[in-house]
Amino acid sequence: MSAATAAISEQAPIPEDNSHAAHANPALRDEGAKLGFRLTLPAQILVLFIAVFPLLMQLYISLTDWSPLSGLGWWSAWSLWNNFANYTDLAADARFWSALNRTAIVMIVCVPAEFLLGLALATLFADEFPGKRIFYSILLMPMMVVPAVAGYMFFMLFQSGGPVNDILSALSGFPVTIAWLSDPTLALIAVMVADIWQWTPLMFLILLAGLVGVPEDQIKAATLLGANPWQRFVTIVLPKMKTIIIIALAIRVIENFKIFDTLYIMTGGGPGVATETISVYIYKVTTQDLIWGYVAAIALAILIVLSIAAVFAMKRMARAREVTA
Amino acid sequence: MSAIHLQNLVKKFGDFTALKTMDLAIADGEFMALLGPSGCGKSTTMNMIAGMEEPTSGKILFGERDMEGVPMGRRGVGFVFQNYAIFTHMSVRQNLAYGPKMRGAPKAEIDRRVGAIAEMLQLTALLDRKADRLSVNILQRVAIGRSAIMEPAIFLLDEPLSNVDAAFRAVMRTELKQLQRQFRQTMVYVTHDQLEAMTMADRIAVMDHGVLQQVGTPLEVYNNPANVFVAGFIGAPGMNLLRGRPAESDRGLVIDLGPLGVTPPLPDNLAVAVRAGRGDVLYGFRPEQVILSDRGLSMPVTFVERIGARTIVHLGQGESAVKAVFDNDVGLAIGQTAVVAPAQASVRVFDAGTGCAIRAGG
Repeated sequence: MSAATAAISEQAPIPEDNSHAAHANPALRDEGAKLGFRLTLPAQILVLFIAVFPLLMQLYISLTDWSPLSGLGWWSAWSLWNNFANYTDLAADARFWSALNRTAIVMIVCVPAEFLLGLALATLFADEFPGKRIFYSILLMPMMVVPAVAGYMFFMLFQSGGPVNDILSALSGFPVTIAWLSDPTLALIAVMVADIWQWTPLMFLILLAGLVGVPEDQIKAATLLGANPWQRFVTIVLPKMKTIIIIALAIRVIENFKIFDTLYIMTGGGPGVATETISVYIYKVTTQDLIWGYVAAIALAILIVLSIAAVFAMKRMARAREVTA
Repeated sequence: MSAIHLQNLVKKFGDFTALKTMDLAIADGEFMALLGPSGCGKSTTMNMIAGMEEPTSGKILFGERDMEGVPMGRRGVGFVFQNYAIFTHMSVRQNLAYGPKMRGAPKAEIDRRVGAIAEMLQLTALLDRKADRLSVNILQRVAIGRSAIMEPAIFLLDEPLSNVDAAFRAVMRTELKQLQRQFRQTMVYVTHDQLEAMTMADRIAVMDHGVLQQVGTPLEVYNNPANVFVAGFIGAPGMNLLRGRPAESDRGLVIDLGPLGVTPPLPDNLAVAVRAGRGDVLYGFRPEQVILSDRGLSMPVTFVERIGARTIVHLGQGESAVKAVFDNDVGLAIGQTAVVAPAQASVRVFDAGTGCAIRAGG
């Protein structure tokens, strides 16, 4: 989430701007600024250590061949300077690009699926129906399952003798013994099913909040003017929900890009590299190959990509807010 | 065609009865105000006419046509919401064009109709402005225009002036009334503000606790309230009501007000009606129709409000409190005793038990 936080802090108002009006007297203003600096100092130091320092350290290591096995402290990594070899390697690393590609495929399938399911459910739950509260609780449950547990659950469900095949057998009347997690395509599908199962509720929750915030009298006004339910949805509900839709999509895109725990427990990135996403790849390079300089370079590259995406989303959001406010 | 008939209309929300058997006929082209305090059922009535709520029982007819089961989008009513419900994410033009567009009118026709309605409402210069940064009077015109473009036979307005400050309200009242003259549609106007109802409406339907109390022109309702609720609700301050017992005197029938003494004799035609009633009555007269005299009700002055053009004098206390309104100032101060006499023609008498007016015969 550091990319998103960075983008938010960029947009935060600069305190000095506000103090101009409040204190016409320059001496008072300086005093106010000083006090403000002192009051925010602890937080600034904290940010320095949790965001800025690791980032710089990562940048530093990414320019070297340093690894924990090199026998050097990380601060002496400069002696292993490698003339940006990590970055040139990265550009030529077919496994990296295929992992990135696969991550993008997962995202392109999962996020829209979660969005559409979440929106449909939110539309359903915006009205009253019997048993709504119970269904509401049930619906939110997947989100509360620990991802590792969810991973193990789906691992069991998709075994060749598991419940998924049992259900398919019962429905089709033929014995189905698909080896879901050992087939490259099916394994990817299984992993995406698990992600959609776990994260549709979050999408639903955010979109429901947006949906109930749509002014009811505007919907009534549209109805009185002859708009049918679909027209009302397209012309009133969706435009009013624009900001919240962008937020929901941004959260899921960023999170989905980092998809790891459930997936790793289900397939370990396999069979072969068939479900190896960017996080799985980084994890393997970190723990198996131990080339940390290279890992730092990969992570930094991804951070930059995500940051650009986040800034873009924030800009869109600010514009949407201007329009709908 | 666009007359509205409400027949035995009842609305219940669970155990709560919001509207008890309402019968009301609104003529084609009439401006009818539904007036009453909050919770009197006026908005419920309006929502049922619009089709937002289904009546529990009873009928709503537009002309001869029964509206039962007709969805709100097909009733041909224009509705102006309390907060106008303007589509804030659209421009004024898009707001005005919304109805025809949703019904699939061709673009050229939409443009023509939007142009015409904008012209009429003086919105032409504002057509491409975003609707989220407009002042209230413009919002009101957009709300009216957005409904009017559909050429509804019936216009419903739900307290459209309640969010506006007092000074502006006077301007908007005039504007609304002029618009109604232009459109010549049947208008139903819900309000709790009697001034709005009195100044704009052709007729007023006064409601309280889900019961229609009286229907009449503003002056009928003011001069001849059907019961004590209407008498007290209409007028500012409302009608003075004093409890008493009819008594014969040598000058004619008077009302014995107990410690306050007896009233001047009732006019003959009213006396006939009251005499037939016997029991306790409420003696009513408008604060504006009181004169200082040497014969009348003698009461202590408890408070004097001087508000420029008028002076409101509070007399007596508790059950026998009375207000008198005079043009200009009067030389009365707190503690003095004033002798006031209601103008004979303005006296109204109500049955103390039922609260209903005892009408003068013949």
